[in-house]
Amino acid sequence: MQYRRVAAIGGKGTGPGQFATSLRGLAVDPGGNIYAANDSQITIFDAAGRLRRRWSTSQPVHSVAVAGDGAVYAGQIGQIEIFDGAGKLLRTWHDQTLLWRVTAIGFVDGDVLAGDAMGRAIRRFDSGGKFRNNIGTDNPLNGLAVPNGIVDFGVDGHGIIHAANPGKHRVERYTAAGELLGHIGQFHGTDPAGFGGCCNPTNVAVRDRIYVTEKAGPRAKVYNFNGELEAVIAADVFDANCKNMSIAVDRRGRVYVADTVKLTIFIFEKVAV
Amino acid sequence: MSEPFTRRDLLHKVGRGTVLATLGGGAAFLVQKAHGQVVWQVDAARCLNSRLGVVGVEACNLCTTECVVELSAVRAVNEYSRCGRCNICPAYFNITSAVDERGLPSEKLCPRDAITRKPIGKADPEDPANNFYEYLIDEEKCDGCGKCVMQCKEPLGLGSIVLRIRYNRCVDCNRCAISKACPKDALIQVPVRSQNGGRA
Repeated sequence: MQYRRVAAIGGKGTGPGQFATSLRGLAVDPGGNIYAANDSQITIFDAAGRLRRRWSTSQPVHSVAVAGDGAVYAGQIGQIEIFDGAGKLLRTWHDQTLLWRVTAIGFVDGDVLAGDAMGRAIRRFDSGGKFRNNIGTDNPLNGLAVPNGIVDFGVDGHGIIHAANPGKHRVERYTAAGELLGHIGQFHGTDPAGFGGCCNPTNVAVRDRIYVTEKAGPRAKVYNFNGELEAVIAADVFDANCKNMSIAVDRRGRVYVADTVKLTIFIFEKVAV
Repeated sequence: MSEPFTRRDLLHKVGRGTVLATLGGGAAFLVQKAHGQVVWQVDAARCLNSRLGVVGVEACNLCTTECVVELSAVRAVNEYSRCGRCNICPAYFNITSAVDERGLPSEKLCPRDAITRKPIGKADPEDPANNFYEYLIDEEKCDGCGKCVMQCKEPLGLGSIVLRIRYNRCVDCNRCAISKACPKDALIQVPVRSQNGGRA
């Protein structure tokens, strides 16, 4: 399997559709619209990469996700802000202990999952914001090993949570109740099938496969659910100093990766064989 | 009636104040220097091995080769508060070496074997990834070659290991030999009270 770069959107700057200082999170909705968590903003592009909408958040935003009803969740420090699709603030969940720094958001069985980087855990809340349980904490390290400072995960079609555990060089599978089901991945410093460096992969997205990004050197890869590497999607395109590159996949299989130094969203798609 | 205070007057006063402050600061620094109250220090933001943005180059070892002190007065120091305590530390392991049966790199990085690793808490014999680790640098062995510093630097590591001058070894040369050779002017003189490692 091979991928090719088909587009690059955003870029560093203050112009329309650009990102001033940070690009931390990505999401794609069923219509192919691209949501970026940048600076203290949510920025939305259509599937062709045209700027559609942009609104401010109350704090710097660390993650973004779009729920089935179109609500946009923006993870921040100590809170999640929930907007409607037009950018109107619907409500805010505050929690200084369970939402210390929300670097990923997802949804499972009507519940909301928040990756709390400071707590090294995924927090599960019901749709009203009531805490239900932790995921990733029932282990000898009392949490995910995340030296990079972010927790990231994806949820597959069966409601299984695939969480990056970069300190262990694994992507771990959990039930929504927090039971560890297994993992893929292992360390390897030279074989691209392995995860290199101190702590990779940093970011995960899940759809038909498991998509990850790594740092030092930065690259995006795709694995099947058995943990076999299917392709290195891209490597050279990213700035060498990139880390914590958010990754998203749309229903057509297009892969979106946030270059955190160039502040650019790179879009890749499979090359037909 | 007093003369109106013009913008030019203001600029004059600010300029004069700045010049006086600069001269005063310089004079104070020279007095401190004359009384042995300044020391050489490695500026981590300038040092090639630790400055951000420099990747894919060999570590600079001029602190080892240029210092007049035997084995150098410079040491690698792990600032534990910033250390990720990783299972696979790129400053400890040669992360491109072959992987052993425990899933760990088979070679160490330090040519002088100056870094030791020990699990924090109860070690899991089945899975080394189930522990955090403490990495200690033996200053009797370390010669400040900078290899571990380069590998610990972000984005590969967290930048917890930096080079520091150990003042119980440094002989306080008037013109530090390393500073003469350093291509990045990373050896700087600072007042004793603001130096970063503390007098050993």
